[in-house]
Amino acid sequence: MYIRPVQHSDLDALCVLAKNSGVGVTSLPDNKQKMAAKLEHSLASFEKTIPEPERLYLFALVDEENDEVAGICALEASIGHEDVWYNYHVGKSVHASRDIGVHKVTKTLYLSNDLTGCSEIATLFLMPDYRKDQNGQLLSRSRYMFLAEFPELFGPEIIAEMRGYSDDNGDSPFWESLGRHFFQMEFSDADYLTGLGNKVFIAELMPKFPIYVPMLSPEAQAVIGKVHPQTEPALAMLKSEGFDFNGYIDIFDGGPSVSVKVKDIRAVKESHVYLAGISEKTPAPNYNEKHGLLLVCNRKLNDYRVILVNKGAAGDDTLWLTQKQADILNIKEGDTVRAVALRPTEAS
Amino acid sequence: MLVVRPSTFVDLTGIERLLNDTDARVTTLPKERDKLSEKISESDDGFRSGIDGDGPASFLFVLEDTDTGELHGTSGIDTEAGNGYPFFNYRLDEIVHASHHLNISSKVPVLFLSHELTGRTLLRSFSIDPQMRDTDGFDLLSRARFMYMAANPDRFNQEIIVEIQGIFDDKGVCPFWDAVGRRFFDLDFLTADYYCSVKSKTFMSELIPQHPVYVPLLPEEAAANIAQNHAAANRTCQLLYREGFHKSKFIDPFDGGPVLKGQLKYTHTYSNIRFKNAKPSEVIGGMKYLISNQSAHNFRCAITTLVDGIGDSIRIPLDVAHALNIREGDQVAYSPL
Repeated sequence: MYIRPVQHSDLDALCVLAKNSGVGVTSLPDNKQKMAAKLEHSLASFEKTIPEPERLYLFALVDEENDEVAGICALEASIGHEDVWYNYHVGKSVHASRDIGVHKVTKTLYLSNDLTGCSEIATLFLMPDYRKDQNGQLLSRSRYMFLAEFPELFGPEIIAEMRGYSDDNGDSPFWESLGRHFFQMEFSDADYLTGLGNKVFIAELMPKFPIYVPMLSPEAQAVIGKVHPQTEPALAMLKSEGFDFNGYIDIFDGGPSVSVKVKDIRAVKESHVYLAGISEKTPAPNYNEKHGLLLVCNRKLNDYRVILVNKGAAGDDTLWLTQKQADILNIKEGDTVRAVALRPTEAS
Repeated sequence: MLVVRPSTFVDLTGIERLLNDTDARVTTLPKERDKLSEKISESDDGFRSGIDGDGPASFLFVLEDTDTGELHGTSGIDTEAGNGYPFFNYRLDEIVHASHHLNISSKVPVLFLSHELTGRTLLRSFSIDPQMRDTDGFDLLSRARFMYMAANPDRFNQEIIVEIQGIFDDKGVCPFWDAVGRRFFDLDFLTADYYCSVKSKTFMSELIPQHPVYVPLLPEEAAANIAQNHAAANRTCQLLYREGFHKSKFIDPFDGGPVLKGQLKYTHTYSNIRFKNAKPSEVIGGMKYLISNQSAHNFRCAITTLVDGIGDSIRIPLDVAHALNIREGDQVAYSPL
């Protein structure tokens, strides 16, 4: 399995992914035209034919055995440029009077565009059949290698918006208690429109004045900053790379935004550049050994590749690859590669 | 005879007894003796300053049965709502959340804190002996204030406002308060109300959340109580509607009760007032009128029957003339009851 930038020929495969992703993965619209536009956007970004802040990098996880696209992930260079980027900032208001012994701190949601200009860890979706052999880890963490290799293409800070809590019926308590009052629409419909690139239109319908949290339903209050149960593993992964809740939530489902400075990402800090050597004796990756794997990427923007190799492949300065691995990475002996442990060493 | 006159310190115990007997909440009249006597003192200053006074003044009237010396009610006027400080209300407004792109448009009611009514003439402190509720005494006590304003029109802002008690139950549970204020004060309604009377309403209002409140986020009951009056205030509302008052966009920030607005010169009482020279005499019969003297500091108002003619003077019964401190030739004001 390897990571590469998406290509023209991926369109049908991407549509299949979108169809499978369902509610909650808002940036994968189940709409071929929109998906094609997204694909073009990514191609133009890798070719640097559009301005830096507008760039969107889409990566595909490909099965080299059958050339099937098993998953997709994305990096957004800078958010809030074409559209306006909205969050609620979870702040506080204090109502106090010494005279009558009142001092009350009230959580308050402030509509903000504060995260404008941050880079974003965006879309990620992996087909259910491929949720094994560390594929999810490879797909997700490959992006940090891209950030480590090309930091100049991104802002100093990067965020990830986490899917907020919704129940088995797809109902979001946060939406029901807040957004719902401002236009009659099911959460799944709003979510669909958002995926079609209408997020900003919906955002414009949301309340502009601060929202006092105690005025929301107890259910809604309880899910502010909470992720969807299925998103817990993704959150744990981001946290292990240094991401943390930054006090901003999604205006629709109340899901948290997490962020980190690009230079402080674990994989960025700890990755090293090695000389590539070819050896058929290099140990094969053992996917059952969580801490025995390395992410390896080539250092080419347009033909970016990432694979997983056995930790034992790394020497002091040289990383030993089989010819097949080198072919997948599209490198020759003597080229340089970047590598880092797939997971942080401490068991986090 | 029932007479409305300025309150004095002698009325202190009488007012206290009255406040303990009435069911209605009178935030502007504290039950504490010290605070109450402060109010009377303020009122006294107001009446003494008369028409020459400037700056905010508070007038407190009492309804007295001159035959028994017993007090049956209180009513008041502030020349400037807020008394020189901000006067807080919520203004019920609407915001349209619309998107051309999505073909969606919905109106959302929002409560905005407002000081707009600061400085308007405020009718307040109305409390009446429950036995008097369904008598002419009710009209006299309330409407005597228009008669007073007619005697001193320059002292008052033309726009008059009245805060009407909102909905709360016998136990003091107020759904609007519980949904809004309580979340920021951690005090129950009666305690907050108590502080309104002993500190000041402005003081308490300054603790109210400054950001607008989206009505759809409130529980249904609280939202439904916005601008609804307590059943105990029905009679007051009816009287004020008859006078030409109407519900405004403003509500009380504590209990959500309506604020009624009216223009002094268009009130029924004021617009029908006539001024003539008194001619105390033995008269019987005629129509019922409110009648008052023209004294700023020694004001008296009562109900009498009069036969109105076309001349410059009018005959008034001797006992009424006596109760109003009127001698022959003094100007009186009268308006149909």
